[in-house]
Amino acid sequence: MTLLLLLFLPVVVACGLPLLPAESPWVRRTALLASLGQLALGLVAWRNPPEDLSLSWLPQLGLRLDLGLDGLSLPLVLLGALITAMAVLATPKAQSRPRLFYALMLGTNVGLMGSFLARNALLFVLAYELILIPTTLLVAIWGGERRAGAAIRFLTYNAVSGLTLLAAVLAFGWLNPGGVDFSFGDLAHHNLTLQQQHWLLALVLVAFGIKLPVVPLHGWQPLTYSQAPTPVAMLLGGVVSKLGAYGLLRFGIQFLPDAWSDWSSWIAAIGAVNAIYGALNAIAQLEMRRLVAYSSLGHMGFLLLALAAATPLSLQGVMAQILAHGLIIALLFCLVGLVDTKTGTTEIPELSGLLNAQRGLPFTMGLMLLALMAAAGVPGQAGFVAELLVFQGSWVAYPIPTLVCLLSSGFTAVYAVRLFNRVGFGRLDNAKANWASTNWGERVPALVLTALVLVGGIWPTFLTGLSEDATAPLALRSSDAVTVIAMAPPTTTSELSA
Amino acid sequence: MATILETAAGAGVFNTLLAAVDAAGLREALDSPGPFTVLAPVDDAFAALPPGTVQTLVENPSQLARILKYHVIAGRHTRDALITQEAWDSLEGAPIAIRSKDPFEVKNATVVTADVECDNGVVHVINRVILPG
Amino acid sequence: MSTTTAPERTKAPLIPPSTHRYAEVIHRLEAGGSMLPDTPENLKQIIGIYKAYAVPMDFYWRDLLYIAERVFLNPLPAFKYFISNEYLDRPNSYAGDQSPLRIWRGTEKAHPELLAFMEWGETRRMPKLLHHLWHDRVNMEFAEACMQAMFWHQGMGGRFNDYLESDAYKANADRAIKAYFKGNPLMLGLYKLFPDMFLEQVRQLSTYANLGLFWEVMAPVFFEMSDIYDEGGFKGVPDAMDFLVNGIFAVAGRPIYHHVFIGGECFEIIPKSEGFTWLYEAALPYVEAVFYRTSPFRGTKSYNAQAGQVPGNQADFHYGILYADVYPVGSAGIPPTLLMQDMLHFLPPYLKEIYKQHRRGEEDELIQLGITFQRSMYNVTSAVIQALRCALLYPLDDTDPKHLQANRAFFEAQMDRFLRPEARLPDIQTQDYR
Repeated sequence: MTLLLLLFLPVVVACGLPLLPAESPWVRRTALLASLGQLALGLVAWRNPPEDLSLSWLPQLGLRLDLGLDGLSLPLVLLGALITAMAVLATPKAQSRPRLFYALMLGTNVGLMGSFLARNALLFVLAYELILIPTTLLVAIWGGERRAGAAIRFLTYNAVSGLTLLAAVLAFGWLNPGGVDFSFGDLAHHNLTLQQQHWLLALVLVAFGIKLPVVPLHGWQPLTYSQAPTPVAMLLGGVVSKLGAYGLLRFGIQFLPDAWSDWSSWIAAIGAVNAIYGALNAIAQLEMRRLVAYSSLGHMGFLLLALAAATPLSLQGVMAQILAHGLIIALLFCLVGLVDTKTGTTEIPELSGLLNAQRGLPFTMGLMLLALMAAAGVPGQAGFVAELLVFQGSWVAYPIPTLVCLLSSGFTAVYAVRLFNRVGFGRLDNAKANWASTNWGERVPALVLTALVLVGGIWPTFLTGLSEDATAPLALRSSDAVTVIAMAPPTTTSELSA
Repeated sequence: MATILETAAGAGVFNTLLAAVDAAGLREALDSPGPFTVLAPVDDAFAALPPGTVQTLVENPSQLARILKYHVIAGRHTRDALITQEAWDSLEGAPIAIRSKDPFEVKNATVVTADVECDNGVVHVINRVILPG
Repeated sequence: MSTTTAPERTKAPLIPPSTHRYAEVIHRLEAGGSMLPDTPENLKQIIGIYKAYAVPMDFYWRDLLYIAERVFLNPLPAFKYFISNEYLDRPNSYAGDQSPLRIWRGTEKAHPELLAFMEWGETRRMPKLLHHLWHDRVNMEFAEACMQAMFWHQGMGGRFNDYLESDAYKANADRAIKAYFKGNPLMLGLYKLFPDMFLEQVRQLSTYANLGLFWEVMAPVFFEMSDIYDEGGFKGVPDAMDFLVNGIFAVAGRPIYHHVFIGGECFEIIPKSEGFTWLYEAALPYVEAVFYRTSPFRGTKSYNAQAGQVPGNQADFHYGILYADVYPVGSAGIPPTLLMQDMLHFLPPYLKEIYKQHRRGEEDELIQLGITFQRSMYNVTSAVIQALRCALLYPLDDTDPKHLQANRAFFEAQMDRFLRPEARLPDIQTQDYR
């Protein structure tokens, strides 16, 4: 029941929004209540774990409405609901065409929830593809100057991603002797040969590599993230990209462990490339949104590295990084959006001295300092916890890529400081500084996200507690990385041994 | 001939100047043989100064003396002698610029009557109070 | 823009128009106006800020004289801002019934608003020491920074600086130092070892006295301007400027001196008989050193010579209020910010009204009043320029074209100082600059 509610609450509300008058403040309030309600449901589900639900839908196709929550998907469900709520709060009150906007946001949310809750691969693919339409529309209608190109590119890449995934899932069924009913349980215990697993893993890597994104397939990301309106960017960077990581965790590590172990050194290398590429590009950026986009790309490299290493500790790092980075990226986009709303620009050369206490945006910049520090992995915030787990867990398996990622983490400090130095410090130009200051309503999403980032930093269990038990069995290497485990029997859960 | 101060008293248009000389305690100096070249502002020149200026100066003899000394050049110099140089050092120390030969202008004052000979020097009558700087 | 109060030229101008970049301002000056455009709002702003400036100034001049005359060479002057009642009550020579040349109709003692602030501060009634430690007081450090600017830039005109190097001064100072440290073998011994150090301290204290005597005049001038404005006596900005010009002349001859009181005896380190005047030895050096030059504030410019941020030539310094970027950088203790905070406490209600309606309202009053202060100081500078023109050049309605050309050349030379990009002269021509 909880699961159905989680999934259908946004559907119902999205459909109901057009019934409200366009100018009414209740449009925004309803959307907010829906996402907060979803968050509440998620917390209820945490306290009272619901049973898996299995409803027949299209049995001829093998499509069943199989919903379930486990340690991997619960944190993502909570993250999705929270970021949606914060995205709604970060939407300017004077949003044009609000009903359509919030309906599309909730539509994205439906797709995300469907993906996280799905226990059936076809259902997963369906929800995965469902995300495309509302997000493309959101970017195309309300995006920046180059939104048309961004939307088309986004659609193209991610449609390919969806198709590739569909092909992989169907191939699962096709290759499996005796057919398969696409449920996760079945997929986890298939009997495919290594060769077959390789083919499937290739498709899975391409599909989720586009989503995450991973370096050769990332062409859509900087443009889309920078052209998307702030709330959409928060959703995209905060949750939708994590869908890629979740997919790799499920489809790669859980369902195709042998192939994954075979290729993991390559995957780790690509992760390292991702990290360096993202960080170096971020240093060169002159526009804040693009900078954050490349920063996100770099952090996805850490995720990939930890997934490749697949030790119990690194998999905890994956979940921690998913949560921490989701929060941090949403926070960064939220703050950049706030600067954009107030000053009208996100171009770094045009901004300076925003920390000025009288005429600048000191509150926003103060939070941005915390957010940038978190992105750079400064202790005391969630980013550090996540990166520590990732590096500690991956070092035993792949020391060189880990070192490269560490170096990239150092580079994040470079662009973080550079950005803050240019935008925050320096001389405020009187001719340009005619901005209103932020009010408390505008500050709430940033405040909430910052608070959570700080909580995650001082209380690491916040990030890993929900998923520890679920990630441990997935590990492909033991903590000392000597034994490579195939077909994932349960391992000893000595998470913190190094 | 009369001394500079006697000439001034006789002219009748230098009452403020003479009162100032007394207040500054310069009577004895200006009665001495010298010789001096004095640029003497008429009463109207003092009246043209904004209100209170003269009063403040009169109450402060040393400061008044400084302004008055700025109107005196050591030596006896007629107009023809004065116009040969661009500036002359006053007794106060600051220079006095000769801005124009014809009409004869000393700093920002016009010399109304030049070359009034006296026992101990020569007087040139000017229409403004000149100030250092 | 034509001024409302200047006389209109009904016949053709005797000299062709100026081709200077600031030709409009020059023509306005030639018509008897100010560098600040003549609008009712400008007048309201500058009068309001003059009054807000005059109240802390009342404290500054008293305390400067207190330090110069009483604190003198105290090696540990921890209480130099704890002005004695004698100095709070010291009659201002230009206010009150006892004044021979009364400029302000009000009291000769400390202004009642100042006394109220000294008692209450921004917090509550506390012992003076607590107010001082909490820094809830008048920022006297600003006055000292102005003094240091004058002291360091030295020869800004007048004879004051030369006298400080003269033997007569050294002799006077020597007597005073010996008297001050009578019975103190340690300090006297130090004096024998390092006489120049003590002499330099005395020179600095003489500059304290100089500045104190300068501001003693300006405070009643500003108070009287505020009172006249409240009665409606000013028709426009040129009227206000003219009042300043008359004030400058009226007090021009005021003696500048430095008397020290040691053990009940008065030591004249700079006697009145030296003939130093308010105009030449105090006002003009002050304008040059503080309005134009000052010094770069620590934290805003690199003092590293290789960085080349501070000009090598003192005359190129451009850190005074006329060139100031009003945004306080936020560093503690930047002198203009100290003054702005002081003025914030004494804003008249009509000025607060203006600030509430613009920009961020009450949140950034500090910046708005800083810009108003800049406008007002441009007006004061205009008054100084007009006064100099009146003293050294020709009347504005002179009929001799050569004289008018001389005036024109003088104005253009003054405007040349505002050609550099940091000058705020173009900004104050519009009302948007807030």
